[in-house]
Amino acid sequence: MRYYKFGKPGGRLIGNTEKYTVYENTVSERRDKFQKLFYQNLPGEFTFSYGPATGGLLESVAFQIKTPGELIKQVVVDPYFKTRTINLTGLAPQDALLKIERINGFHAAANAISFEMAVEDALGIEVTDEINYSRIVMLELERIRSNLEVVKRLCEPAGFGVPENQVAHLREEVTRLISMVTGHRYFFSASSIGGCLIRTSGLEENIIKIKDQFETLFNNLLQSKIFLNRLQNNGVIKNGPLLGPAARAAGMIVDARISHPVLPYGKLGFKIAVFDEPDAFGRFYVRSQEILNSAELILEALNNCGNRDTVNSSAVNGEGAARLESPQGDLFYYVKIDHGVIQDVQISSPSLLNIDAFRRSMVGNIFTDFHFNWESFGIWISELAVVIK
Amino acid sequence: MSSFWFLNGIKKGIKTEKFPSAKPEFPPDWPSGLSGTYSANCPVKAITPEGWIMEKCIFCRRCIPNMQPTKEQDIFTIKSGEDIFRKSFHVFPLDSGACGSCNIEFLSVFSPQYDANRLGIFLVNTPRHADAIVIMGVMTNGMKETLDRAYEAMPEPKLIIALGVCTITGGIMGEPPLDREKYNVEIAGCPPSPYTILAALNAAKGAGKK
Repeated sequence: MRYYKFGKPGGRLIGNTEKYTVYENTVSERRDKFQKLFYQNLPGEFTFSYGPATGGLLESVAFQIKTPGELIKQVVVDPYFKTRTINLTGLAPQDALLKIERINGFHAAANAISFEMAVEDALGIEVTDEINYSRIVMLELERIRSNLEVVKRLCEPAGFGVPENQVAHLREEVTRLISMVTGHRYFFSASSIGGCLIRTSGLEENIIKIKDQFETLFNNLLQSKIFLNRLQNNGVIKNGPLLGPAARAAGMIVDARISHPVLPYGKLGFKIAVFDEPDAFGRFYVRSQEILNSAELILEALNNCGNRDTVNSSAVNGEGAARLESPQGDLFYYVKIDHGVIQDVQISSPSLLNIDAFRRSMVGNIFTDFHFNWESFGIWISELAVVIK
Repeated sequence: MSSFWFLNGIKKGIKTEKFPSAKPEFPPDWPSGLSGTYSANCPVKAITPEGWIMEKCIFCRRCIPNMQPTKEQDIFTIKSGEDIFRKSFHVFPLDSGACGSCNIEFLSVFSPQYDANRLGIFLVNTPRHADAIVIMGVMTNGMKETLDRAYEAMPEPKLIIALGVCTITGGIMGEPPLDREKYNVEIAGCPPSPYTILAALNAAKGAGKK
């Protein structure tokens, strides 16, 4: 493993896999457990059940909200209703990739590329700069779409129909752009072990158009006091382990694009967007800034992109690990390959720490804050509720 | 400020396409219909010497160059419908174990480009108000009871719509939630595009028309 080593716990916590706890540069076999919640309802308080399948929820997830009626005293989140068992052991890495892409289809590029980087690390496959720039284009397109979805879903509970539909329109335009660039609306089969196949003609003018449209929309949203009031001081969280936009909104300078420099973000003049309001507004602000930054990164990376088909390695044994910055935060993959087939895959999803941050930030808020705060974390259940076999 | 957004919306003009009464403006290559010759390279055996089985296909592109996309978006099957849903059709989505892409594609049919509401198709928050349940994803143990209870909570008549290859045949990810004979509508794709979903929902609501 070139980028990671097994060792003692230390450094920034990234998350848990099924077997390990992952830190910034080490993987620890001593698996950290999150503190279990216990809350006894006081007289007059009750438990409100929400989910797993009901309106307002994109995926199946259940909440137990402890409340005297309006104030939220505690939230228990159960993301494991839709836990899928995915069989990867014994598959060739290229075949396993078909399933990896479908762990979280909305973030297929982040999952696929992180897995590919771990396999390349395990088998000693060298990846050219051109391929790495193509991968940056894919990842940043995905980040734009993902962040647009969060902004749209923040407008939704506010009943803010016009901007909600304008963002939904923009998100669909980005999806069509992704389809034009990669051939598939969700990046499926666009990248491979050691390779990547994208078409960049027409990308530049379209990305400039999308950036300009969003910038106008974002500036208009910042003028809407009613909308901002729903976000400000909602879900304040600045302590404990935080990842991705939630950490950066709290002023933490953390981003795998800089701290885990396998992909050449540094050469593109990438700067981390941080903010000093650790609430739903801060997370909205950071995500919006990242849409604009990602557009700039794509325009920078575009000139250096290249394509290459799958690379077959002569090596058949090895273990590798890689981490990248998915739209929700650090996404980590560990892969062990034996005789050319997968022996073990471990995934650390950013949604695990984001759910923990969400439930901590929800205490003391009221019911009407719930959806704004939940959506501001951009949590995806599908990448968390998986058991790899 | 409220008038600002109203005028802002008006100024943007109409973004909705004429589909399904006109051809789709931006049909994707993948997923879409496939045509060509037999390829042994299919990981889900969707391509047989007898032809292409759209309900199994995960659109992974391994069959290229033998098979090529046609951009046709009508990759769905209406097995039965109800005449009563002709003018308004209320659908409840249920994620039995999806990867998230079907969830987003389903919601996309309500975005301005597609605007399913204009066709009388509406999203509801509870199965009590639903004419059809749209199931997405493979079967998972935790969602089995929820699926059964949601179906039982729906008023008669009701339809079951399988959205995506995971729901129809399990695709590459697992087992489907229900036997195929229980589905009234099967929408192929991994995930199906909003064009396919919109066309399928529109066809399903008029399927019982005499």
